[in-house]
Amino acid sequence: MRTGPNPRDWQEASAVKTGAQTTGRSGLATTQIADASSGAESRGNKMPSALFAASDVGLVRRLRDDEDEAVQKPLEWSLIRRMFTYAAPVERKLTALSVLSVVRSAQLPALVWIATLIIKGPISQAHVTGLWLGVLGYAALAVTTDGLFHFRQRYALEIGEAVVNGLRADLFAKVQRQPMSFFQRTKLGRIIGRVTSDVEALRVGIQDVLFVSAVQAGQMLFAAIVMAFSDWAMFLVVLGLAPILWVLNRHFRVRLSHYSRAASDSFSRITATLAESVNGIRVTQGFVRQETNAGLFRHLLADHSRYSIALARTSAILTPLLELNSQFFVAILLMFGGWRVFHGEMGVGDLITFFLLANQFFSPIAVIGNQYNQALVAMAGAERVFRMIDAKPDWEDAPDAVALPDPRLSATGARPGPDGMRVEFHGVSFGYDPERIVLHDVSFVAEPGQTVALVGHTGSGKSSIINLASKFYLPTAGELLIDGHEIRTISGQSLHRQMGVVQQQNFLFSGTVLDNIRVAKPEATEDEVRQAASKLDCLDILEALPHGLHTEVGERGSSLSVGQRQLVCFTRSLLADPRLVILDEATSSIDAMTEARLQKALLKLLRGRTSFVVAHRLSTIRHADLVLLLEQGRIIERGTHAELLALGGHYAVLYRQFVQVDEAG
Amino acid sequence: MLELRPLTTAAPLSNAALVRRLIGLAWRYRLHCLRVLAIQLVLLTMGIGGLSLTGVGIDYIRHKIEFPASVVPIDADAPVMSRLHRLLPGEWPYWQALGLLAGLILLFAICRAFLNYSYTVSVNRLVQQRLVVDLRGEVYEKLQRLSFRFFDANTTSSIITRVTSDVQSVRMFVDQVLIQSVIMVISLTVYVVYMVNLSPSLTVACLATTPLLWVLSAWHTRRTQPEYARNRTLVEAMVQTFVESIQGIAVTKAFGREAEDRAKFDAANNAVLAQQHLIFWRVSLFSPAVGFLTRINMMVLLGYGGWLVIQGQLPLGAGLVVFVGLLEQFSGQVNNVATIVNSVQQSLIGARRVFEIHDAPVEVKSAPDAVRRPKLQGDVHFDHVSFAYVGAEAVVRDINLTVKPGECVAILGATGSGKSVLMSLVPRFFDPTAGRVMIDGIDVRQLDLDDLRRNIGLVFQESFLFSNTIAANIAFGHPGATREQIEKAARIAAAHDFIMALPEGYETILGESGNSLSGGQRQRLALARAVLLEPAILLLDDPTAAIDSETEHGIFEALDRAMAGRTTFIVAHRLSTLRRADFIIVLERGRIVQRGTHEELMREPGPYLHVANLQLIDGRELQALAPQEGGS
Repeated sequence: MRTGPNPRDWQEASAVKTGAQTTGRSGLATTQIADASSGAESRGNKMPSALFAASDVGLVRRLRDDEDEAVQKPLEWSLIRRMFTYAAPVERKLTALSVLSVVRSAQLPALVWIATLIIKGPISQAHVTGLWLGVLGYAALAVTTDGLFHFRQRYALEIGEAVVNGLRADLFAKVQRQPMSFFQRTKLGRIIGRVTSDVEALRVGIQDVLFVSAVQAGQMLFAAIVMAFSDWAMFLVVLGLAPILWVLNRHFRVRLSHYSRAASDSFSRITATLAESVNGIRVTQGFVRQETNAGLFRHLLADHSRYSIALARTSAILTPLLELNSQFFVAILLMFGGWRVFHGEMGVGDLITFFLLANQFFSPIAVIGNQYNQALVAMAGAERVFRMIDAKPDWEDAPDAVALPDPRLSATGARPGPDGMRVEFHGVSFGYDPERIVLHDVSFVAEPGQTVALVGHTGSGKSSIINLASKFYLPTAGELLIDGHEIRTISGQSLHRQMGVVQQQNFLFSGTVLDNIRVAKPEATEDEVRQAASKLDCLDILEALPHGLHTEVGERGSSLSVGQRQLVCFTRSLLADPRLVILDEATSSIDAMTEARLQKALLKLLRGRTSFVVAHRLSTIRHADLVLLLEQGRIIERGTHAELLALGGHYAVLYRQFVQVDEAG
Repeated sequence: MLELRPLTTAAPLSNAALVRRLIGLAWRYRLHCLRVLAIQLVLLTMGIGGLSLTGVGIDYIRHKIEFPASVVPIDADAPVMSRLHRLLPGEWPYWQALGLLAGLILLFAICRAFLNYSYTVSVNRLVQQRLVVDLRGEVYEKLQRLSFRFFDANTTSSIITRVTSDVQSVRMFVDQVLIQSVIMVISLTVYVVYMVNLSPSLTVACLATTPLLWVLSAWHTRRTQPEYARNRTLVEAMVQTFVESIQGIAVTKAFGREAEDRAKFDAANNAVLAQQHLIFWRVSLFSPAVGFLTRINMMVLLGYGGWLVIQGQLPLGAGLVVFVGLLEQFSGQVNNVATIVNSVQQSLIGARRVFEIHDAPVEVKSAPDAVRRPKLQGDVHFDHVSFAYVGAEAVVRDINLTVKPGECVAILGATGSGKSVLMSLVPRFFDPTAGRVMIDGIDVRQLDLDDLRRNIGLVFQESFLFSNTIAANIAFGHPGATREQIEKAARIAAAHDFIMALPEGYETILGESGNSLSGGQRQRLALARAVLLEPAILLLDDPTAAIDSETEHGIFEALDRAMAGRTTFIVAHRLSTLRRADFIIVLERGRIVQRGTHEELMREPGPYLHVANLQLIDGRELQALAPQEGGS
């Protein structure tokens, strides 16, 4: 039997839901993809293995990650405390909310109790004045209950959002601070998972679990006291049923989370396949795979639907069972209560009290059980989020690092025009993994304004030298001086501000061409951008885009061709007016016609600036002041192009081989 | 990038048309829907039955206490329902009567539990096993046939959303809107009739607040819906900012712009926070208000209902207590109205996006009387071909070109000169706006599309590889290929050796978009994938663009082997490649401005000579320095 209390339950639940809605709805595709990658990686479930057969025939197969992602974690006090430190900005609301929760836990059953008092008192005894007084009391309590509920709900939501906001900002700042090596080894999906689903799990933990559980527990307690006072024998019956409910609930919750895990795993296979189908559509159509793919996709859908049905079936058992239990109680109440009433051990009024209050006692059991589950999920999320926040960077700028002075801004007045940087390598060794050194004892000096060309096979150490000079990594041994300052003593950012890098494949942010160029110098005006582009002799190409400089570049610059993207990156680098220019295979993806134009402009661009160039275009190498030929992390030949050719060593061989491709065919 | 460019092809559907189509969708599953409805109706009846029994029980006990000896009705003028408990034989001992009632209640409860179970299961069968699977399957199948323009105009995440959550919104129309409204209308009617039967005046008094509740819900929904939509946009933007910040971290760090980037994220993050406050306020005003309205009902019930009981016009158990229960179920259904209204809006939005895909015309498909040619010779002829995107300037203009079987034509042109478009006219990724493309003397539009494409091997500038094994990627166009065939293709593409050097060999699973391989390795896999089909025609769109120069050297041999005996179109920039071609065309703004062999073009002034000169400087210098190694 369901009476009075339920609308209140609904409200309590709605407080939970609205919070979840604002965020749950935000489950956009990115989130889903993020979930997908983390979902498919771990297999903590005990599903019959036969059900997994479908994953073998997919369009997409993924390697499982060794780093298992736990769905739930036991409660841990230190984590809980830490979560609440993020509520510090809204501390007063937090205090108020705690008080409000206690008050509400008494208000809800009190309302029901008053109702039963009215029924068994004035109504049963036909006392009209008492009736009006009772209703008046009920009204007064109702007004305060709902009035306070406004604050109870709003504060909970606001605290949840404040915590989530703080966590995201913190995560972002901490992740951004990490050196490049972190991004090499950490999957993007993993990082996104932290900032989306894990943080959301934490939100639920903060805004709901504690307070909803408190309200529910208080409600249970209050109802228990009233019932015990009304009739202790009947109350014992109620008490006896409670553990059954709890056990039932726990058992099914465990099964439910099992199935929902399997369902989300299978769903992540769907989204992953979808994403690749969309990205690979040209291949699919070009190779006429539409029907095969559609068949595979239907397989995945059927697989997912199987888990969803299993999930639904389990919850379809739980809900009726809980209801059956309360009906069972009503039947007992009628029999046992009736018996006691007839023997004069209990009043009819008390019988009604029990009818109405029993639900106040039983319903929190399911709610708390559910919240407990949420809490475990939130714990797992919290653990991962904090692990990422706490991840110690492999290295950081020294605390006393100083800004690299920019001579152009010196007190003697700004000197116009470019000014190169002096870069010295003295006995530098380096390994991404300290156990495996990839650069051995490298020494050379790039004088201001010089162009250093790096030549060698893949893996010979060209990129390592560039990564070191740009302080993306620190040398394992040796000394690296920038303008005479040891690189460890200057701040990375001040160095980067005087540097411009163009790589073979560069990332473009979504936004316009103009936005992307301005990344290098956010304060630059559109005119400055145009000037930079025209210096590179590519303004007309950029302006020929559908909306000129205001063309949206699309996701990862997808609406531009590879060559156009590269031009944006060149302009971006020039705009920064760098003292050190790094070109890492920068022109190899630009078409020959455009490159011919760009080549001349590039020479102008490099003049006066120090530059490191990894190039396939020999004309660039020819102009270099210093050519370093690298092999297995060592400089095996050095000199100018002419000197090295005259030397007739490795460089000459490599060069001939290279030119033969061009020349002899 | 969050804005959705509407598809130019499909006219926007009106709401009425959408609803008609959605009802049509439900009609496909009508039997299933009816079963679900029938179960729900039985449940409704049983719920009311159980409630009445409880009331009867209370009244019986009360009656027995107050009038222990009497079997005679005292208040003969009481409403009909209240007399129910007197149906129990008066001479029965109380435990027998109570036992019967309790037994009935339990029986009802068990039946209800069972029915509830089958209700949930059959709804989910309908939704998860039929509706969603069918819808997603259909959308996906359609999606695969759409032209590239669709994929250019919509972001990946938007397309994924259409197949995932938008489909869920569509099915919501069936199970949340249609089925639920029928259930709601029936149960509200039943409740009202039952309540009126108990006491018409009390019914009116209690339901007085209901219209107010409706108005309040409608108003709230209308006000907050746009806020939620805005919230979604802001959250998406925030996550997008985060994702891009990580993807572009090297760029940000390289320019030392961490602070700006952080500020950008903080702004996006705080925008969500600021906007949420408004929603929180609204929600926190709405739900207490709704709660208070239901409590007013309770007050009226206690006050007026209690007075009626005192006046003897209403029994306590079968009247008042039953009324409390009914009212609660009633307000539960009333609250459903808001949910249903919400669902309608959501499902219409979702449906529009799903139907957009459904309705998007497949721009390129086989003609009904298409010519079947499983094996083509590869004689390609462009006859006055022009192409323009809808409403844009022509990208390819009046191209005339004949390539004989086995010949290789190289295409040189600046960025945006129409090279890629020209090539994509061959496999009919687009159809020309004027002129025709002929293969073996047949207009490609007359050819069976699958035959045509199976005869063409493709390698793109940046080749997309699927997250799957290397073997599966090479066999992509022919999933049934044997290991021998796969290895043969890999050898032609000079990929076999590096594949074998990998720990798992051909079973190596590639990471997302194959990023565990170098550019050169990926291109070689793409080449292997193309040659596995033994195509008559090979289209190579600047296959070495994303490869470092030294690897490029190695891939030439592979290309030479792959091109042997096939009609080849290759976009290229390097003289080394251009020279290999039987002849070269130079494109400028969609037109062929030069054509001829390398030797011929070297003799005439023009863009070709210009490009060649730049590249030849190196060679001449080499000749000067090392004459013994002289070139040609």
